[in-house]
Formats: sequence, structure tokens, C-alpha cells
Amino acid sequence: MIQFLNVSKTYDTNLALRDINLSIEKGDMVFLTGPSGAGKTTLLKLIYAAELPDSGKIYVGEWNTGGLDSDSIPLLRRNIGIVFQDFRLLLNRNVFDNVALALRVRKVPENEVKARVMDSLKIVNLRHKTDSFQGTLSGGEQQRVVISRAIVAEPAILLADEPTGNLDRDTAAGIMKIFRYINAKGTTILIATHNRELFSNTGKRVIRLMAGSITGEAKG
Amino acid sequence: MQYPLKLALQSIWNEKWINLLSILTIASGLAVVSLVIFVMYNIDYFTKRLPERFSVMIYLKDGTSESETGTIISEIRKNRNVEKLKYISKAEALNELRSTMKNSDYILEGFGENPLPASIEVKFHKEKAKPETVKLFVEEMNKIKGIDEIHFADKFLRSIHSVKTGSQTIGFMLSAIMTTGMIFLCYSTVKMLFYHRREEMETLKLLGATRGFIRLPFLLEGAIVGLAGGVTCIIALATFYYTVFSKLVSAMPALSFVVFPPIMLYMLPPAGLLLGITGALIAIGRIRF
Repeated sequence: MIQFLNVSKTYDTNLALRDINLSIEKGDMVFLTGPSGAGKTTLLKLIYAAELPDSGKIYVGEWNTGGLDSDSIPLLRRNIGIVFQDFRLLLNRNVFDNVALALRVRKVPENEVKARVMDSLKIVNLRHKTDSFQGTLSGGEQQRVVISRAIVAEPAILLADEPTGNLDRDTAAGIMKIFRYINAKGTTILIATHNRELFSNTGKRVIRLMAGSITGEAKG
Repeated sequence: MQYPLKLALQSIWNEKWINLLSILTIASGLAVVSLVIFVMYNIDYFTKRLPERFSVMIYLKDGTSESETGTIISEIRKNRNVEKLKYISKAEALNELRSTMKNSDYILEGFGENPLPASIEVKFHKEKAKPETVKLFVEEMNKIKGIDEIHFADKFLRSIHSVKTGSQTIGFMLSAIMTTGMIFLCYSTVKMLFYHRREEMETLKLLGATRGFIRLPFLLEGAIVGLAGGVTCIIALATFYYTVFSKLVSAMPALSFVVFPPIMLYMLPPAGLLLGITGALIAIGRIRF
């Protein structure tokens, strides 16, 4: 589903990723771990073509992200749901419209949008917050809105960058439960986190990044 | 189209104050340019009418026969710049002078013979009454036998011409400066309107939106704001024209020749629309993925 072949990426003179070789199969749930600055976010950005590799090749499904023209990038991104570290919720839209956005960019007919948004909000247990705006939501609720937006279009791949960053243990556990549920439905998930608790005892693949290189792999 | 339009209207409502500022900026900008066009139009209208009063007087030599006069008249008619001519015989000239002098016509009694020459008054097509055209005409006429003198208001013609060309040059420069300034002002306001929405555009891009999907609501918003600016400008100008200006005209009849070009009113909404869309397009810039 996702394949990195000898991928390197440098920002100015700072090496972000060095010679990464990685393969993630369809339906997998994989954790990417390592300290801050290890290159986790860069690796995710390379998958959704927010960054391009300096060398090497990246395949996401049928796409070679390095060789995409700018008109194909939106099409690639429609196959990927992203849980951003900084949420990226639109302040001037309520919860419903924020989640619906993922469907509307995919040109899903309006008569389907409502039902699908409500289903997605049900998964994250936020159906009662449809009319709320970001400012009135707690950190955990905002994170769940972002997850709802990421899964509403039922993408083949879900990327999550520090999805439990500032959340308490219980909320983090709740979010992991949602990820497991989505994964069980067949979505390939890649979670970047430095929180060991998230992957310990999960039995899932954990890839360790350090200073831009993969330094090890284990089962959580 | 329904969803982008809904977004545009929502956004206008959510940010009503900055949108109102943009509408007023566009309206003021259009009003300033309209004022320049209004002044220019009236100067042009006025100077176009002045040549109607301009004529060349061709005085014929005494004793010019009827056939010679006929030849002179047909020569004048051949000139394409001439619109009409009027032959004034010696007797007609004397009668005209008598009627002009009214109570002092006894002075004319002292002349035994009619001292006034026969003449031909020549009027030019309005747009052809230019100093160089008239000068050429006079040179040609001087070559014809039977013509004694040719008189025309050279200075009058030259001053009309310089007022016309001067006002056109100044008007053009003024319109160019005003329009550039106004476009810049409108662009800055519209850019300010969209600048803080760059984050929103970035998020849309990451969610898989195409360029068209991102641009359309912003362009619609720009179009609505621009159109509203144009309509606001019409309302402001019409209010000014029917209240302040009509009172000014009744107080100062000299201003009654001033006309308000109606086409300007029809042009304002599309001009506002164009400004709004252009401003939005420039402010959004090139969307790179």
C-alpha cells in the first residue's frame, strides 16, 4: 500500500530523512516512533505529497508521489485521511461543516453528505456537537472532530501525526479505540507518535526513527 | 455552484465589517473615477459644440460676375471638410448691417453706393474645424480668382483646439493615475480580506481540494463584494446628482449645460464586478500543491 525506496529528504542543509526503505501492507496499522525531530512528520508529509523527496521513490497505492503533476495531487490526497498534529480545523465553520469538507472536496452529492457526516461523528461520539465551533470544544473533542473528518470519506489510508499529543490518558485511550475500529474495517493506518503507551501491547508493527534514519522495528 | 455560493455568502456574513470596508473602498474608488470621467465628458461635450459657431468669411471682389461667384461656390463645395455655406449678396449684407445698427443707420446714408462686399459664409463639419484644416482651405481659396479677402477667427479656433487637446491629455493622465490608485486601493483591501484565509486554503489543499474548488468561493465573494461596490456607487452618485447637483444647477444656470452620461451608470456594476474578481484572483495568487 505504501512503499519507500531509498528515500532521502533535506531541508536546506538539515537532513530530515536518510535512505528510508519502508513497506506498509494494505490493512496494516503501523506506529512510527522516535524523538522530536526524528523525521516522523516529514515521512508522513512525503506520503501525502506535501513534500517531495530529494531522492528515492515513494509509492502510495497506484501513485508514485515523486512523479505526480499538480493536477493529480488532489486525487492522491482524496485516498488519504489525515489527522494533523495542529488539527487544521476551520475556525469559521462548525463541526458539521468541518467534517463535511472532506466529502465536499470529493464532490460527494449534498444529499449524501449529511448522513455520512452524522455516521462519522457517531464513531467519534460527537453527534451532539454538530453546531459547535472549534473555540467551544475541548482538546480531545477537537481531536475527535479531526479524526471524524479524516475518516468520513472512507479513505484507503489514514495518517495520524501525534494524534494524542496533548490529551490525557483516558482521552488518548478512547482515540486509540477509534483507530482500532477503523483499522478493523480495512483502513491502512500509520500513526506517528512518541507516546509509547499508544503502541505497547498492541501487537502492531512499530518502526523507530532516529535523526532521519530507521533504526529499528519491533512489535508493540 | 450552490455550495460555493453558500460558502461565499456565509463568509461575507461572518466577516461583514471587512467586507463592508471593501464594498465602500470599491464604491469610493469607482466614484472618484466616475467624477473624472464626468468632468472629462462634459469638457469634451462643451468643446465639441464650440466649432458650431466657427465660420470662415470669404469676401468677394466688387464686380465679380454671377458665373464667377458660381465657380467659387462650387469650388468651396468640393472641399469635403465644408458642411454648409451661405452666399450673402451686397444688398443682404447692407440690410443685415442696417438691422444691426438699428437707430444709428443714418450713418449709412452718407455712403452713396453700397460699400459692403458680397461674401460667402462657410461652416465646417464639427470634427473638421481644426486650425490646420482651415489653414489649408484658406490657402486653396486664395488661389481662386474673384476672392478679395478671407477672414476667420484663427485665435478662437486655436484656443478651442488647445482646450480640447489639453483637456484630453490632462483627462487621460488624471484618469490613468486615479484608476491605477483606485485599483491598487481596492486590491489592497481585497487582499487584506483574503490574506488571513490563506490557512483555510492550505487546509483545503491538504484535504484534496482542486484549484477550482478552492478558488470558486473566493471569486464569488470577490464578485459579490465588487458588484455591491458598483451598486453602492450608483446609489451615492444618483443621490448626489438628484439632491446636491440639481440644487446647484437651479442656483447657477451656467451649469445647466452639464450632462450626466447615463452609460456611466450602466458601467459601474460591471466595473465593480471586474474589480472584485480581479482583486480576489490576485489576492489568492497561484495555488501550488
